[in-house]
Amino acid sequence: MNNSIIRISIWVYLAIFFIYLLGPLVIMSITAFNSPSFPRATPWECLTFEWFSALFQDERILNGIKNSILVGIGTIILSVSMGLAGALMLTQIWPKLRATYYTIIIAPILIPGVVLGISTLVFWDRINRMLGLGADSFLSNGLFLTIIGQSTFIASYCMLVLVARLQRYDLALTEAALDLGATHAQAFRKILLPFMRPALASAAVLAFLASFENYNTTTFTFGEYPTLTIELAQKVRYGITPAISALAFMIVVLTVFAALFNEANIKRKEVIAKARKEGATVGDVTSGVKLPGFFTGNAAAITLVVFAVATIAVIGTATVYSPKQCIANVQEQKRLETQKRIQELRDQRKRDAEAAGQAGGATGAAKPSNNSGFGGVFAPGTLQGGDQGTAPADDAGSSNNSGFGGVFAPNNINGADN
Amino acid sequence: MPSFLKDFFNRNGTLMGSLMLGLVLFWTVGLIILPQLSMLDFSFRPNLPPPEIGGPKDVYTLENYKYLVFGPEGGSQDYNAVDLKVFFRTLVAAVCVTIFNLILCYPIAYYLGQTKGNHIRILALMLIIPYWINEILRAFALRIIFGESGVLNTILVGSGIFDTPFDFIRNDIALYAGLGYAYILLMIFPIYNVIESLDHNQIEAARDLGAPWWRIHKRVVIPYAKPGISSGCTMVFMLSAGALAAPQILGGPSSLWFTQLIYQQFNDNSDWPQGAAYAVVLLVTCILLVLAVMRLFKVNMGDIGK
Repeated sequence: MNNSIIRISIWVYLAIFFIYLLGPLVIMSITAFNSPSFPRATPWECLTFEWFSALFQDERILNGIKNSILVGIGTIILSVSMGLAGALMLTQIWPKLRATYYTIIIAPILIPGVVLGISTLVFWDRINRMLGLGADSFLSNGLFLTIIGQSTFIASYCMLVLVARLQRYDLALTEAALDLGATHAQAFRKILLPFMRPALASAAVLAFLASFENYNTTTFTFGEYPTLTIELAQKVRYGITPAISALAFMIVVLTVFAALFNEANIKRKEVIAKARKEGATVGDVTSGVKLPGFFTGNAAAITLVVFAVATIAVIGTATVYSPKQCIANVQEQKRLETQKRIQELRDQRKRDAEAAGQAGGATGAAKPSNNSGFGGVFAPGTLQGGDQGTAPADDAGSSNNSGFGGVFAPNNINGADN
Repeated sequence: MPSFLKDFFNRNGTLMGSLMLGLVLFWTVGLIILPQLSMLDFSFRPNLPPPEIGGPKDVYTLENYKYLVFGPEGGSQDYNAVDLKVFFRTLVAAVCVTIFNLILCYPIAYYLGQTKGNHIRILALMLIIPYWINEILRAFALRIIFGESGVLNTILVGSGIFDTPFDFIRNDIALYAGLGYAYILLMIFPIYNVIESLDHNQIEAARDLGAPWWRIHKRVVIPYAKPGISSGCTMVFMLSAGALAAPQILGGPSSLWFTQLIYQQFNDNSDWPQGAAYAVVLLVTCILLVLAVMRLFKVNMGDIGK
């Protein structure tokens, strides 16, 4: 009893957490397909793909992607090699220095990106001046500065990934290779590097992703080479359009693809390993539905294929589908709605005026304080009318008339008075 | 040549050894230490046009730091109230975001770390996916939700909770939600890593001895997970105090984040030394704060990043 309450509350908590985490992405993706020019999910108007074509026609975005890839490649090369050297050094360094050294190479993760960007900019600007180079030398080039600035902290991430793998490396292997006559370079290339390959691959992926999404450091160093993130930030700050949602949606889809692919691969390896262990073929492990090779017992692979088919279907629809009719309908509807609203407003005003007229007629003279609510149209005469009864009533009435434009006949007020 | 250097080259070979040493030195000295020192040096200099740099006017001065505390010289106020207020607000808000994230993430990290099963992999995947997506786009997604005519306001007004749309952006709710959102993963993973290695038998034993669930956490899980918790908190605090994208996109028009002031000094006023001074103040304050808290909770620096 108590247990089931805990279980339910755990699931509720998980659900809330993941709604917080994934909800914004889902809603943003939806806005990419809605036709209003401000990204919104509600009210839904028309299914449209025009934001995707708007995205592909945007020169600045395309240029940003190109720069991001250039920066990404440079960052991968520099930070993975620095990370590897840093990790190897950590295993060899003089024990007394190790703690200090570790603090230094881990610090860039904790230093705010803004500070890294500024210090890179200031430092290389100074080097540039000291060498007497002009403002157009490669040391003040945006591409160079961005790669350097990003590598400062991305190399720390790479180092952490590589150290984890390096801890399982058996140094005796290198020694054996050296004993057998290999040079140090050969031992490194043929023994250590193959061992480190999986970790190097994940460090490279991590470096690229970190570089691709970096904003804080890049915003100070990019110079003439705005990366995609910089372009996006400028667009988002000065007016947002669903084209950005479209880009985000594509990144989400690519990410999910990559994740599923990775998952499917891992699963496949597990299945094969299991099969080998039990001395059976892959097909025997999963009884029931028999699927060829890749899919056996592999939910992730099946999801991947379903996902791919869905994507192709959506792209297929996009090429033939035209939302013009729908958009025209919506516009027509909006026009009608606006007209209706204006009409309603007019009617409302008219009714108000009539009601006010009657109410004013009924109470105007009796309760002068109400009159002030009609906004200054009531001259002091009204007050007099209220106070002094019948004698100056005509006077008050005539001043009232001007406010209501003819609704308020002098007779009315007379009638009320009498 | 000192003996340890000789050993080093003997062990790695001259070519590999010098390559390694060169890369490490370039990284630690050329990219980490010297730029920071250079920024520190720069922050003590006046803002001069390029031809005058290195000239007679280029002397050390405390002017840039004075500006942060006292404002422009001859100003009407005794203190630079605007910038100081932004500075302290940033620090307080960063602490609040950190605490919020810790409370939000601890149960998740505990659940992921101590539960076995296939669905854990899927949950972990769902955790990671948002972090492969650009920081700007994550902030943008939240802006769509929190905007004047955003989804949240549509729901709240539609269901009659509010009569008029609530301005989440002007009230900074969007900003705090965005900062919390941006660094969830950095809080979960260090805690998860530690809790995963906690032997479940310890928890069972505590339960068998009659401890209620909150005491199990207080006496067994939290002391064990302390390195992970402090590592996560440090990262979230440093990154949210140094965040720039989320405040620029989600911040209200009248409220600034301290990093935005730095950005303005650099890009709008082109007063680099002033910006560098602000950056130094931010960096030093954050480091001191983190060290103080770590001292308070008796955690070592070496635990960070594990």
